[in-house]
Amino acid sequence: MVDSYLPMFLTFAISLIACTVMFTFGHFLGPKNPSPAKNMPFECGNDTEGAKFTRMNVKFYLTAILFVVFDIEVVFIYPWAVLFKGLGWVGFATMLMFIVSLLVALVYTWKKGGLEWES
Amino acid sequence: MIDLFIALSPLLTVGFGGLLLMLAEALGKPANNTGMSPDGAVVVDAGAGRSEELGLLATVILFSGAASSMGVWLADPATLGVELVSPWLQVDRYSLFFSFILCISGGLCTLLGGGYLEEHKIDRGEFFTLVVFSTVGAIALGFAGDLLTVFVALETMSLGVYCMIGLRRSSPRAGEAALKYFLLGSFAAAIMMFGAALLYAATGHTDLAGIGAFVGGLGGEASGETAMVIVGMLLMLIGMAFKISAVPFHMWAPDAYEGAPTPTTSFMAAAVKTAAFAVLLRILLIAFGDPRLMSWGAGWPPVMACLSVLSMTIANVIAGRQSSVKRMLAYSSISHAGYLLMGVCAAMRLPEEASASVMFYLAGYCISTIGAFGALILCGSRGKEAVSYADLAGIGRRHPAAAAAFALFVISLAGMPPTAGFFGKLYVFRATIDAELYSLAIIGLLNSIVGAYYYMKVLVFMYMREPIPGAPIAIPMRSSMVVSALIIAAALVVAIGVLPGALLEMAAVAAAALS
Repeated sequence: MVDSYLPMFLTFAISLIACTVMFTFGHFLGPKNPSPAKNMPFECGNDTEGAKFTRMNVKFYLTAILFVVFDIEVVFIYPWAVLFKGLGWVGFATMLMFIVSLLVALVYTWKKGGLEWES
Repeated sequence: MIDLFIALSPLLTVGFGGLLLMLAEALGKPANNTGMSPDGAVVVDAGAGRSEELGLLATVILFSGAASSMGVWLADPATLGVELVSPWLQVDRYSLFFSFILCISGGLCTLLGGGYLEEHKIDRGEFFTLVVFSTVGAIALGFAGDLLTVFVALETMSLGVYCMIGLRRSSPRAGEAALKYFLLGSFAAAIMMFGAALLYAATGHTDLAGIGAFVGGLGGEASGETAMVIVGMLLMLIGMAFKISAVPFHMWAPDAYEGAPTPTTSFMAAAVKTAAFAVLLRILLIAFGDPRLMSWGAGWPPVMACLSVLSMTIANVIAGRQSSVKRMLAYSSISHAGYLLMGVCAAMRLPEEASASVMFYLAGYCISTIGAFGALILCGSRGKEAVSYADLAGIGRRHPAAAAAFALFVISLAGMPPTAGFFGKLYVFRATIDAELYSLAIIGLLNSIVGAYYYMKVLVFMYMREPIPGAPIAIPMRSSMVVSALIIAAALVVAIGVLPGALLEMAAVAAAALS
């Protein structure tokens, strides 16, 4: 038990020590000359703009969830494709049922206007 | 192979019916061909304004699910090659009994929705599809014999319900209710998943029978495995207690029930609770049926007894102090979970008799509670729900038929003859007494007397009070769909109440299939 977890604990300890050392040395040894320009928020070199909280369009969410659905479809299809011969017709029918139900979902989304960005 | 499809037909009928319903909703013309809602606004959504036709379609799908459950029951599922999907899905008479009740409950809820949504201007076609798919999850939960299918089915059932609660998007109450149920529900699911992971780690099995066999083979001495099994079992029970809304895991229930559209509330109170009890009984008796986990001094019975006493007592006390009828019915459904848990406790000594009594109770309770919510729908109209007792004042004179139906369902919930609720209570109490749990039975008896108070209050307001002069009077709505749901429910409540023997016999056969 202890032996098998020892490397993990060591990695954890070493990374903890490394971080502590870097931050401590940086804090005590680094020169500090603050100026107004240096204290400005840094955002990849651009000037910051806009409010802190913005409302995102709900379409982004819809696109994301559709991506997840069809992404998961691929996750299921890959192992099926690898074992296609072994699973035979039963496997084919099962996968067909799965894909048809997703197709219905796609038709549904399409007809309900879920794929239209402009409207 | 064909046999197997026949055996799974309740699930397949409702599932593929749901897909068809999706297509019917998306491909149809919006708002009765005009593209306009009744108040003149342009409707672009294809499912809007068609609650009658979609509601009727959903009801047909769900009732045919009930019919196919009955067909498979008569054909004897054991001969249909069901071992191919076992233990993931256990097609036996136990699960078919539940799939029958669940389909009937779902069908009654879609009938209610068909009238309610249009009246309250939340006429969205999604509701019916969500009910159908939630029912698929609920049926699968009754079938589930493996921790993985339990989890997947539970989530399938819950996801639809989360959306159905938030259907009235403009209402902050509905948003709060949906968010509360979603957060607590996913939290409960996570706790249950943790319990399942511990059980798998300790036993190496995810199927309930395998876990049961492993627990039976454990030695008497305390070991790491024993501790993990007990902790895993408790975490599973916590997750389940959330779903059946047993005190102290009930905090979400009153708010979610009150904020949700009433057809959704009735679906939650009936179908979700029934499915959770189906899986609870199966897990307790199959996976934790070992005598060492199933005695009065140790294991789950004392935990269940505590939950039962707390649910009955606290819910009854709070329900009596509510001024909103909808909230009172929410607390009443918590107290019914308490009575049902009493039967679950009794299952430790008499698995068959007690399970049968719980199943009988659930059948009666489902129909009565849907009927009570349906009658409440009928009493309010034009966007204003009848929610407080004062709204009900004088209904007995203004709308005698609605009041009579409400009275019947309330009497059934209170457990008085000649209704389904009376025999449900009778059988659960008899099982508890036969199992020699006298103190539990006495607490339950006292509680059902306390409970009668707030049920009678409904009758008093309907028949003996007049509305305060100047108060806005809710005009009862007119909807053939709500009325037909109430007629079906009332007929079932009376039929079970007059001839309880047939249903009890079926419940006994179903319970025998469990062990």
